[in-house]
Parts: sequence; structure tokens; C-alpha cells
Amino acid sequence: MSKLLLRGIEKRYGEVAAVAGLDLELREGEFVSLLGPSGCGKTTTLRMIAGFIEPTAGTIEMNGQVLSSPSGALPPEKRQMSMIFQSYAVWPNMTVGENVAFGLELRKLPREDIRRRVGEILEVVHMGHLAARYPAELSGGQQQRVALARAIVIQPQVLLLDEPLSNLDANLREEMRFEIRRLHDEFRITTVYVTHDQAEAMVTSDRIAVMNLGRIEQVADPHTLYNRPKTRFVAGFIGRTNFIEGNAGNGQIAFGSFALPALEGAPASGKVTVSVRPQSMRLSRAQGANGRPQVAVTIAERAYLGEFWDYVVTPADSAMKLRVTTPPLEIYQVGESAWLAFDPNQMTPIA
Amino acid sequence: MTAALDHLAPAAPTRRFRLADPSMILWIVMIAILVFLIASPMVRLVVSSFQDPETGRLTIANYIEAYGRARHLQALWNTLVFGSGVAVLACLFGVPLAWAISRTDMPAKGFIRLMVFGAFIIPPYLGAIGWILLAGPNAGWLNKVWIALTGADHGIFNVYSMTGLIVVVAVTSFPYVFVFTSGALDLVSSEMEDAANILGAGTIRTTFRITLPLVLPAIVGGLIISFLEAIALFGAPALIALPARFQVVSTQLWQFFEYPVRVEQAAAYAMPLLLITIFMFWLQRTLLGRRGYTTVSGKGGERRVTRLGPWRWVMLGYALFVCALSVFLPMLVLTQAAFAKAWGRGFSLDNLSLQNFRYLLFEQTQAQQAIINTFVYSGITAFAAIGLSLAIAYVVTRKLVPWSNVLAFLCMAPFVIPGIVLAIGFYAAYAPPPLALYGTGTILVLAYTTRFLPIAYTSSAAGMRSVNPEMEEAVRILGGGRLTAIRRVLAPLLKRNLAGAWILVFIPAARELSSAIFLVGPNTRVISVMLFDLSEEGNFEVLSALGMILLVTTLVIAAIGFKAIGRDFMVRNA
Amino acid sequence: MSLSRRDILKSGSALALGTALGTHGARARDMTAREKELYELARKEGEVTWYTAHSNDTTAQALGRDFEAAFPGIKANVVRTTAQVAYQRLTQEQRAGAMQVDVFSSTDIGHYVALKEKNLLEKYAPDNANKLIEVYKNYDPDGFFTVTSAGLIGISYNTEKLKEADAPKNWPDLLDAKWKDKIALGHPGFSGYVGTWVVSLKKLYGWDFFEKLAKNNPQIGRSINDTVTMLNAGERIVAGSGPNGTAMESAAKGNPLAMIYPPDGSVLIIAPSGIPKGVKHPNAAKLFMEYLLTPEASKIWVEHFNESMRPEVKPLGGAKSAADVKTIRPSVEEITKGIPEVIKQWRDTFGV
Repeated sequence: MSKLLLRGIEKRYGEVAAVAGLDLELREGEFVSLLGPSGCGKTTTLRMIAGFIEPTAGTIEMNGQVLSSPSGALPPEKRQMSMIFQSYAVWPNMTVGENVAFGLELRKLPREDIRRRVGEILEVVHMGHLAARYPAELSGGQQQRVALARAIVIQPQVLLLDEPLSNLDANLREEMRFEIRRLHDEFRITTVYVTHDQAEAMVTSDRIAVMNLGRIEQVADPHTLYNRPKTRFVAGFIGRTNFIEGNAGNGQIAFGSFALPALEGAPASGKVTVSVRPQSMRLSRAQGANGRPQVAVTIAERAYLGEFWDYVVTPADSAMKLRVTTPPLEIYQVGESAWLAFDPNQMTPIA
Repeated sequence: MTAALDHLAPAAPTRRFRLADPSMILWIVMIAILVFLIASPMVRLVVSSFQDPETGRLTIANYIEAYGRARHLQALWNTLVFGSGVAVLACLFGVPLAWAISRTDMPAKGFIRLMVFGAFIIPPYLGAIGWILLAGPNAGWLNKVWIALTGADHGIFNVYSMTGLIVVVAVTSFPYVFVFTSGALDLVSSEMEDAANILGAGTIRTTFRITLPLVLPAIVGGLIISFLEAIALFGAPALIALPARFQVVSTQLWQFFEYPVRVEQAAAYAMPLLLITIFMFWLQRTLLGRRGYTTVSGKGGERRVTRLGPWRWVMLGYALFVCALSVFLPMLVLTQAAFAKAWGRGFSLDNLSLQNFRYLLFEQTQAQQAIINTFVYSGITAFAAIGLSLAIAYVVTRKLVPWSNVLAFLCMAPFVIPGIVLAIGFYAAYAPPPLALYGTGTILVLAYTTRFLPIAYTSSAAGMRSVNPEMEEAVRILGGGRLTAIRRVLAPLLKRNLAGAWILVFIPAARELSSAIFLVGPNTRVISVMLFDLSEEGNFEVLSALGMILLVTTLVIAAIGFKAIGRDFMVRNA
Repeated sequence: MSLSRRDILKSGSALALGTALGTHGARARDMTAREKELYELARKEGEVTWYTAHSNDTTAQALGRDFEAAFPGIKANVVRTTAQVAYQRLTQEQRAGAMQVDVFSSTDIGHYVALKEKNLLEKYAPDNANKLIEVYKNYDPDGFFTVTSAGLIGISYNTEKLKEADAPKNWPDLLDAKWKDKIALGHPGFSGYVGTWVVSLKKLYGWDFFEKLAKNNPQIGRSINDTVTMLNAGERIVAGSGPNGTAMESAAKGNPLAMIYPPDGSVLIIAPSGIPKGVKHPNAAKLFMEYLLTPEASKIWVEHFNESMRPEVKPLGGAKSAADVKTIRPSVEEITKGIPEVIKQWRDTFGV
């Protein structure tokens, strides 16, 4: 049985559909991210799961019981979930300890029990020594840890996170990604995580649901999503890529001045769009490297980014522009001619 | 760790969910109270203005009666002159002071600010009495001094005139303009002024072309409030206009309550006040609504003071002059009178006496009760207004019911209803059976609560908006209902806002006369009404003593509030 | 809550009174049979509310305290105001069906006539009414209201600013242009005393008198007692409607005031009290009516320079009473019809 099941969820505000027919299923203990640009409906979806918003169509079920439907919704306080907010929403009028104890107090646990559990969870998030502090006396990262402890300590059925790291600075953000994953590995709470940052989603998630315009474009594990994007949107949103268009036929795909062998999963004939990651191609001065298809190109632009070179190249007799990255020591001048090698295993036809 | 959660098992969702929310009942009750407090008396007022007093049939006879006399029309005109004069003068007093305190290096800012607050606490009718003692044409202190200095046989000031009335009311109502303007000035970033300076504009040019226009909406807001407060005032005009031999609308309304009581005509005669007020607010919206003043509502940014050089002493001189008119001089003569055997005998030791206080506190059968009534009613009013406005602000910001903006409008509506009109509405709606609230403390508290609800609502709504909704959602997702969220998180977070609002409601409630005068009974008299009754027989010594008691007690309560929440709350909440 | 608060207040003030003043304290008193009977009943009601325009606040409060001392256990709520305001409150209460007043003491006889006509007065003829000075007896043969106080209106003036020789001698002297900006008056729209005064002078000299008086730009207060304050302050020099009681009491305190009793006649105000229909404390109200007619009450009236109601209480030395000067007094009917009329005329002539 699935832990959480969203069936045909839709939320309309007048004519506008913020979420337009969405299906998603989470297994017990699974960590799923909703990834997409702002306005794609991911936060609306999360808030429907939490019960703050009622769907205009579809149902949300947990453990086989309907929580939300257009005819009514269980209020958030009855859903046994917990949530971490973008603003952390750590209550400034309570100490760290009081914040964390709050959910347990609502559950009328014995005082001694509460004290013990609060102590334990604060140790887990490395905040044990700050239990008596007020939130105003904490850094952003520390507040985030309090929010995490507060949400986890009640052992929720489902944990919801709404862009929890977006207010942190870059270094801290990276650290907290791993922290969130570590906590998930430790407690195995079924989790829905909303973010617009693909790296965050890839570090933390078992599966990622990429959303666009109120719909899910693709749900898959991070590796599949990156390497086998199903739609142009997913390919473009997850990492950088080149889209090249060609015509399929005769066991190959023709791209104007050059042609490549047919790709698995691509139609046998007609127009084809292919996604090629910049780092999946190789640039070389000499022709004929290990039998991969090769094209003669000219270097049009270049930029040095420290970790790699970012070149824009143009195949001979073509207006096509391709982005290619190379290691720092492979240096080409603008205007120089070179050979570009494709790896068909790393090329994905896009629907 | 999972066992503890069992009792929260979810039930099947049905329509019942929303209705089962126990807090929903509370919201409905609050909304009902709001309608009861505001909509009902106003509807009654309008309806009764078209009703025949005997038969209850529809008629326009009340309007013909009310406007059929030249005297009554003259009073309307006088009111317009009076209100406009007060509004303009209040701006001349309030805007320079606000600018000086907010943006310049004028010395003694803290003291001036304190004095402005003092002017806010002094009720207009008490200020009027102070000014009668100061500028009575023959016996006023100022005139006596003038005669002594120049040997003239007449004084030069005459408080018993339209000008006198305008000045007296303006010095007590300029704090509205001050508070509005300085609140807005505090939000204008110095970068705005720097931008003008860099283009070559000097201090004066910058101030008049950039700074003041940016806070124009606030100034106009203060101007309108001063106007509305002035035309709704009853006490000061009764004390000054009558001997000056002219009437304004409020004193004329009072006459409709003389025998035979003509509530219906009073209602008809009150309509212009209502229409003027609504018109003023409409005017403010259309005049200022289209231009963007986002700079003012945005973040503060850095603010620096403008250096005035030697002019800062001139500015201070002006500020002290305004404070002298509004606080020093009236308070000096009121204090003298309060401790005098006979105020006309001047400042001498043998004229000193505690008799007036002794009379009030121990001999007068009603003063004690009036003092207690005043502070009990004002205190309850402050709590009631804040409780109600907080609940409504919650419903509105969370959009818990359809058309929640109507509720916000209702909360702000009493703002446009002059106190005296409100009292007539309350009288018409709730004095007679079945409620028969006439002469009870309840009707006073209800009227006060209604009258000062906009102050409380403004504070509550601003506070509500300042709290991230996620603070509350965090409670709910952890298993707490809305009421838990309000009790455990929202209310504690808004504690300072609410305490500030409490004081802002308490002070005007403690001094309220216009609405109280129609609604008090012998056991529910409050200080303001008693002051008014005392003024009827010209007993200025006892009257001043009672006024001192009111002021000192209010000050003590405000001081406690200041200590508890910090002093600049007045600016932030306005 | 209100009851306990009031109790605390009462004990507090009684304590303070006992220690601070100790004047009228626990004086033993002979009650008449009627008083005793009413006192028993009134004690259960516990309080009485008195709306009075008969005097200034000081006098009214002194009467209230003396009543409380004479009849322990009954609290007297004394609301002193002008006649028209008192009447306005009374009618407001009757319209609203929420009676607060128990005893109503206006100075405008017209009020009682109107109330009686509309059957809004309780019939009660006090026992003590038979013991009054003859002229005050039997004012209303039907027993709906009873005279409880009387006072004189003459001309008063500030003795520091004006020598006796220069002071106006008679009412028409007030019209002299030399009194421009120097005269203080009360307002008939507020004060019953002033109303009766206007009716009397209108009867003597016609409305023309007031048209001319208006040219002297008198200052118009509300209560007749306002004029005393204005004279004391030196704001005005001559009170055209000078209340004998308040002026003489003020003079006794050391204020520079003197009275003139015009040869054409000082205006004698006879002011009754009555019990409105539907009051909450009917027995206490009756007892209070009896009290107002006791020698003790008259003593307080006299101490405050009002007229005595009882023959056995004589005016204090030096003060003139109605018996010593020529008085004029409009009939009940003239007042009843006259006051509403002159209020309108007054407003047209004086603008307020």
C-alpha cells in the first residue's frame, strides 16, 4: 500500500489552474522532491498535502484514507504531518526547547517523556547546548536545525519541507542538504520536499518529480532524470544541455552538415530533437578518437570558469551553436578549428 | 516514539470538517457583535431620520423641521468654517514639529515629543477651560498681563469667538497631524533627499519639493482627522461658542435633545456630518490614490538628520511656542485653579487650598464613582476593542469567511461617524426596550468600543500582517487548532502591538465626552460628563481639580504602559 | 459587582467624612410618623437619585449628605444640573423606559404642568407640606408636585470694579450703553431661573427690553450661577440675572459681590419637586420629598442663602429674603406657556 497518494489533484483560482491534474505516489519512508521553477504549482501541491489548501478536484490519501477531496478536507492539525517552512517559522516567543516540545505537549505526553525526547532530538541536530536560547539569538542555520528538530520529534506520518534552504547562504545550504538526507536516513520519515534547486533535490531525494505549469513532467530517480530526461523541459531544467534538431531516416539522424547513427528510443523517421550535455562531448585537435562520431568545428566563443572551460563551437557549414566543456588544461583559441566527438550513449531524444 | 500519536487518527473527510472547527463559532459570534455594534445603530439612525416620531411612518418632515430654520443652516456653515480652520491650523502646528523631530538636529527633541503626547492626553474641553481662564476678554490671565504691561483698558485676546474656538481646538488636535506625519517621515529614506541634493537642490528646496510631498498622504490623513474630530466635538464648542453667541452642529444637535426630545430630527440633522465625513474620505482616496507612494510604505533605508545651523534654535522656539499654547499655558492656569480658593485671586499663598480636591474626593457624592467609572469603562473598552479587532483582523487576513473585506470596512466605519452621531444612533437603537440599556455602564462601554474600534483595528491588522502566516501554520501542522495558534503564538508575538493599542484606545476613551453625554445615567457618570456638568455652573476651581485627577491618572497609566513597551509606540502604531 | 464597589466606596467616604469633617455625622433626629414609616420601606430600596436644578452643586451635595446622615442606609445620588438638562434627561429616560431619577427638582414649573398633563407624575402630597410658610403651601391642589425651594433674582455686581452709587438700580438701567460688554446673563434654554426671569421681565417691559439688552452684548452662560463666576473673575461687572443665593454665598466667602433688589421687583422663583411615574425607588423618593421640607433642610438652604421653607427657620443675619423686598412672580400658567416661547425668542434675539 502506498503511504501517500495524490490522484488527479487540481487547484483552480478562478480561470487559472495553479495545479492541473497531478498524480503522485509515495512509498513508506520515501523521500520525494517536487522540483520546478517558481509558479509551477509545487508549493500549492505541498500545501494541499498539508491541508492548508483544499483541492478543487482529485483526492489526497494517506494510508488508504482520504484526507482531502473537493467535498471537504481534514484540517492540518488532524493530519499527523509536520512541515518545515521557508521562513523556518520558529516561534520567537519560545526558547529552542519550548519550540521543540510544543508538538509533544499538544499530544499530551508526560512531562518527563517530553523532556527526554526533546533532549534526544536536539542532540541529533547538534543543538543540545542551545536549548535555553531564544530564536533571535540563533543564526539562520541554527534556526533551521530547530525547525527540523521540531518537525521530526513528533514522528510525523509525513514530513513536508517547503524550500527550507532558500534563505541560507551558499555554504550553509550545501551543508544542510546533507544534514537533511542524514536525518532522513536515520528516521526514515516519508518526506515531500519542495525546491527549485536541482542540486538540492538530487542530493536529498530518492525520486524527483519535475513540475511545470501545474503538471508533473517526469518522476524518476536523480540519475535517470539527468541522463534520460523525457521532455525538453526536464532536460533543460536539470543541468545544462544542448538541444539539436535533426531528421531521422535510414538508420541515422541527419543534422544538416553532419549525421549521427540512430539513437535508441528515437523515432525511425521524421523530425527529432536530441539533448546533448556539454560535458558528454569531447573536443580534440586530432581526428579519429576511439570510433565515436566526429564533426569538424570552429571555436566561436570561450570562457574560463576555473573548474572547466566553457566553449561555444560551430560545426563546419552550419549555423548550429553547441556548448562544450573541457578540463582547464585543454585550451583552444577563438577561431581555431577542432574536432568534436559525440557519445551516443549520452544523447537523449526528447519527446 | 510512534505510539503517542494514535489518538490523532484522521477521520473520513466530509462537509462537516469546516463547520466542526470549534473556532468557527467564535468567528461567527464576533461578526455578529460587529454588526450589532456598528451596522445596527447606523441603520437605525438613518431610518429614524425618515420616521414620524409618533406613528413610525415614513416622512421627510424631520428634514424640513431640522433645516427649516436659518439658525440651523447657519450652524452648519459655522461647523464647516470651524472644522476647516482647525484642520489648517493643526497642520501649521503639527507638520513643522513632525519634520523638526524626525529629520532635523533641533535640540530638545525628546522633550518636545513628550509635550506633544501631553497635548494628546489633554481633552479638548479641558483645554478650552484653560483657555477661558487665559483669554477671557477681561479677566483672562493673558489679557490681564497685557493690560498691566501696556496700560490698555481692553485685553487683546477673546477666547469667546470663532477664532478663539479654532485655536483652542487646534492646539489639542494637532497631535493627530503630528503622529501621522512623523510616522511617514520616519519611513522616507534619506536617499530620496540625497538624490535631490546631488541634482543641486538645497535643504529648503528639497524639503518642500521632495520630503513633504512624499508624506503628503499622511499630512492629508492628519488634516482630515483633525477636521472630523473638530466637527464632532461637543464640549469645547458648548463652552466657547455659546458665550460667543454662535452655534455649531454639535451644540445644535444637543438642542434637539432638549424637551421635547426629538431624536428623529436630531438624526436628520446629523446626516450632513455623516455625508461630509464620507465625502472627505472619498476625496482623500481620489486625490492621492493614483499616485504611487511606495517609497513611503517601503523599508526605512538610512535616515540622516538635516543640519539647520542657527535655525535650529528658531525651530525650537516655534516648537516651544506650540507647546506653550497646547500644554504649558493651559496646564499652568488649570493647576492654579485646581489649587486655588478662587482662581480670580491669582497666584498667592493665601489663595492656595486643597479644598477642591477634598470636596471632590470626600464630599461630592458622585465624584469618586465617576472617577472609578471612567477608568473601569475605559479599561474594559480597551480590552473589548482589542479582543474584537484582533479576532476580526484574524478573520480578514486569513480570509476565513467570504467577503471578509466587508468586515474590515465595518471595523473602520466608526472612524467616519462623529462621536455625537454615534451616540444618537446608539441611543435610538439600544436605549429603549427590549435592551433598555439606557443608564447602564454597558451602553457606554459598547459605544466607546464602537467609537475606538478603528484605532484598535488599525493596530491589530498591522500586527497581524507583520506576523508571517507560517508562524501559525507551524502550530497547526503540529496538531494545534487556530485558537491554540492564537493563544500560544499570535497573541504573545503581538503583545507589544496590543499593549500599545490598549493605551491608544484607553486614553481617548478616558476623556470621551461627545458620545458619553447622551448615554450616561446618574450611576454611570464619567469624569468628562461631570466636568461638563460642573462647567454649567462655572465652578472652575472644582472643575480644574477634577480635570487634574483625570490627567494625572491617565498619565500614570500611560507611563506604566510606556515603561512596559518602550516609548516610540505612538508613532509606530499610527 | 457594582453593588460591592459602591459599598466599598460608601464605607470609604463615610470613614473619610467622619475623620475629616465630622460635621453632620450621627446627629439624632426626631422623625415624624410618616418619615419613620417611609424610612422602613425606603431602607430596602437603599438609594435615591435626585435630579436637581434648585441650587448650585455645593448646596445640593450638602442636602444629599445631610439626608444620608439623617436616614442611614439610604444613599443619595445627587445630580445637580440646569433645569432644562434635568428635564431632558428625565424625558429621555421615560422615552427609553429606563428610569434613573427618583425625585425631580426643576426650577421651571412648566415641566410639572406638562408632566402632570401627560400623567407622568406620581401623586404624592408630603406630610411636611402642611408645615410650610403659607405662601408655599398647596401649590398644586391635586398633590402631584410640592414647592421645595425658592430663591430671588436681582441684579448683582462686582464691588471692586463698581461703586454702589454707579451700579444699576432697576432693571431698565441695564439697557444703558455704558454697560456694553459688561453684563453677564444665564440662558433660559438651560436655566429655569433665567427662564422665569425672562418671562417676568418680558411681562413688565415687553420683548423690546431684550432686543435692547442684546445691543449691550451681554455674555451668555448656561446656568444662572455662571454669572456669579463671571463677576468673581472680573470677566463681567454686572449680572443682569443675579441669583441671590449663590451670589450671597459667594460674597460670604470673601468674593467682591453685592446684590441690588430692583424697586420694580426682584423675581421670586418658586421651585417644586415631584416624583415621576415609574421610578425605581418610590418610597425613598417620598422620604426624600419629606426631607426637603424638614427644618433641617431649610437650615441648609438658609446657610447657603436660599429661602427657608419653614417658618421656624429664619434667614441668617444680613441676608435679605423674599419677605424683605418687593417681589414679582409670574403665574404658573404664564410660566408654563411663557418659557418655551421666550426660549425661541431668546435664540432669535441673542443668536444662541
